[in-house]
Amino acid sequence: MVDQIKSVETEHSTVNSQVTPAVTMENVNKWFDDFHVLKDINLHVADGEKVVVCGPSGSGKSTLIRCICKLEDHQRGTINVLGTELNDNVANIDEIRREVGMVFQQFNLFPHMTVLENCTLALTLVRKKSRKEAETIAMGFLEKVRIPEQSTKYPGELSGGQQQRVAIARSLCMNPKILLFDEPTSALDPEMISEVLDVMVALAEEGMTMVCVTHEMGFARRVADRVIFMDEGEIVEQNSPQAFFDNPTNERTRLFLSQILQH
Amino acid sequence: MTASTYQLPPQSSFSRKVKDNFFASPFDCLVTLACAVFFVAIFYYIVDWAFISSIWSSEDEPLCKEASGACWSVIDARHRIIFFGLFPYEEHWRSTLACVVMVATIVASCVPWFWSTLKLSGLWIIGFGIFYFLMAGGVFGLSVITPERWGGLALTIFIFAAVSIIGMPLSIVLALGRRSKLPVIARLFGLFIDFFRSLPLLTILFTAAVITPFLLPGWLQGDKLYRVIAGFAIFFACYQAENIRAGLQAIPPGQDEAGLTLGLTYMQRVTRIQLPQAFRNSLPAIVNQFVITFKETSIVTIVGFFEILASGSAAFGTGKWTVYYIEVYVFIGAIYFIFVFSLSRYGAYLERKLRVGHG
Repeated sequence: MVDQIKSVETEHSTVNSQVTPAVTMENVNKWFDDFHVLKDINLHVADGEKVVVCGPSGSGKSTLIRCICKLEDHQRGTINVLGTELNDNVANIDEIRREVGMVFQQFNLFPHMTVLENCTLALTLVRKKSRKEAETIAMGFLEKVRIPEQSTKYPGELSGGQQQRVAIARSLCMNPKILLFDEPTSALDPEMISEVLDVMVALAEEGMTMVCVTHEMGFARRVADRVIFMDEGEIVEQNSPQAFFDNPTNERTRLFLSQILQH
Repeated sequence: MTASTYQLPPQSSFSRKVKDNFFASPFDCLVTLACAVFFVAIFYYIVDWAFISSIWSSEDEPLCKEASGACWSVIDARHRIIFFGLFPYEEHWRSTLACVVMVATIVASCVPWFWSTLKLSGLWIIGFGIFYFLMAGGVFGLSVITPERWGGLALTIFIFAAVSIIGMPLSIVLALGRRSKLPVIARLFGLFIDFFRSLPLLTILFTAAVITPFLLPGWLQGDKLYRVIAGFAIFFACYQAENIRAGLQAIPPGQDEAGLTLGLTYMQRVTRIQLPQAFRNSLPAIVNQFVITFKETSIVTIVGFFEILASGSAAFGTGKWTVYYIEVYVFIGAIYFIFVFSLSRYGAYLERKLRVGHG
C-alpha cells in the first residue's frame, strides 16, 4: 500500500513556525463524566501543516480533533482556530465550522440524497450559491476525487471507498482552510484504503492544512510534517515522521509501534 | 476479465410448485380440498347475498321481505342522510363538491411534484379554504350553514383533514421538543405528550366539547366543532410525535455531526437531514396513525356530531327501514374501506419510493 502512494517531496517534513497557526490548543482538558479523556493538551498546527495523530484505542485522539470543530466541548484551557477562540459564542462556532472540514470514519453521507446533492447541500444553504453554480463546484471536486460518474447515485449504492471519497469531496466543496480526518480508512475493506489515501496525498501536496487521526503509518511517513502519539489522554511524543518511526524516545511509543507494525 | 458461464438458479414449474405445496400427500389433498370448498362456499354466499338475490331499487322495498339477499333499497332511499347528515337538502351539492375538493387536495398532496413546503401549504390553504366556504357559506350568495348542521361524509373528511393538518406540524414540534438538549424543555414536552397520551380520546373530546366552554373566555371558545378538532389534533399529535421521535432516534448521530461540520444551522439540519430520514424510518407507524385517526373520527358522535357512522344510524332509524341495519353498516364499511385502503396503499407506495438507494 505504501508503495502505491506517490512519494512526497521532503520539503513538507520541516515545520514552518513563521506562519500564523491554524490551530492552537493550550492546556486543554476534557472529561466525559468522571473520565479524564484529554489531559493538558498543548498542540499547535501551523498553516499548511499536515499532522498525523496516532495512538491506541481510547487514547483521546478522536476526541482531540472533534474538539477542534466543536463537536465536543472542552472544559478547561483554550482552543484557537484560525485566530478565533472556540468558546460559548455561537457566532464564533458557526464561523469556525464553515472553515473547518471533517471527514468521518463512518463517512456520514446523507443516505436520502444523491452524491451530487450531498455535495451541493451546504453550498446552497451555507454559501448561498445558486443551484447551478453549486453543481459546477461539486462536479469539480467529484472529478478531483475521481468519482464524477457516480454523481446521480445514492450513497447506499456505492462501495465504502467511493463513499469516503464523496465525503471528502463534500467537505472540499466548502473550501475549508483546515481538513480534519477521523480514522478515514478504518471502516474500509483493505482493497479500498489506497483509493482514499491517494486522494488525501493529493490534497496534502496542494498544501491543505490537515489533522489526521489514522493508523496508516505509510501515509504518515510520506505525507506528515509531524506525527503525534497519544496515550491515555496525553500527547506522549511528537516528532517528524522520520525521527518518530526510526527513533521513538518514549517506551509507550515503542510498544505501540511494535504492536501496529509487526505484521 | 475471464470468460465465465452464466448460470440461472434452478426453476420449478407452476404446476410442480402447486403439487409440492398443496397435494404432496393424501392428507394434504384432503386439507386443500376442504379449505377450497369452505372458501368457495363463503364466497358464493356473499356474492349471492350482495348481488344475485339482492333488491336494489327503493320502489322494490316490499319485495325485500321475501328476498334472501341484501335489501339495498335502504341505501337507494336513504343515501342522502348517510352522505350529508343534517345538511340542508337543497344545499347537498355544496357538501358533495366540498368532499370532492378535499379528496382532490389529499390526493394532490400525495403527488411528489407538490412536495415542497411552499406548494404543499399553498395547496392545503386553497383546498381547505374552498371546502370551508362551500360548507359554511356566507360568501358568493351561498346561504350560511353552521357547523352543527354539517354531517355525513363531509364532516368525517373535514375532521380527518383538519386533525391531520393541525396535528402533523404540531407532532413534529413535539417530537423535536422532546429531543431538545435543554433538559427543562425536553421534560416539559415529554410531560405534555405523556399527559395527553394517558387520557382516552373520549375524555379529551368531552372536555373540549362540554367543559372548556366554562373555562375559556367567550372569544376563545369558537364553535364546538373547532374545540373538538383542536382536542383531537392534540391527541393525534402526541401519538404521531412518538412515531416521529422513534424515527429520529434511529438516525445515527454522525448524520447530525456531518451537518454541523458543514456549517448547517439547526433548522437546516432538522428540515434537510433529520426529518426526511425520520419520516422514512417510521413511515409505517405514521401511516398507521392516520388510518387509526380516520376511523376514530366516528367517536365525535358522542359529543353530538353526525359524522358518517351516526348519519348511517339515522338512515335506518325510522319506520320500515329499521330492519335493514346490516345493509347500511356494510355500505358505510365499504366507504371507510375505500378511504383507509387507499391510505394504506399510498403508504406502501411511499415506502417503495423512499427506499430508492437504501438497499
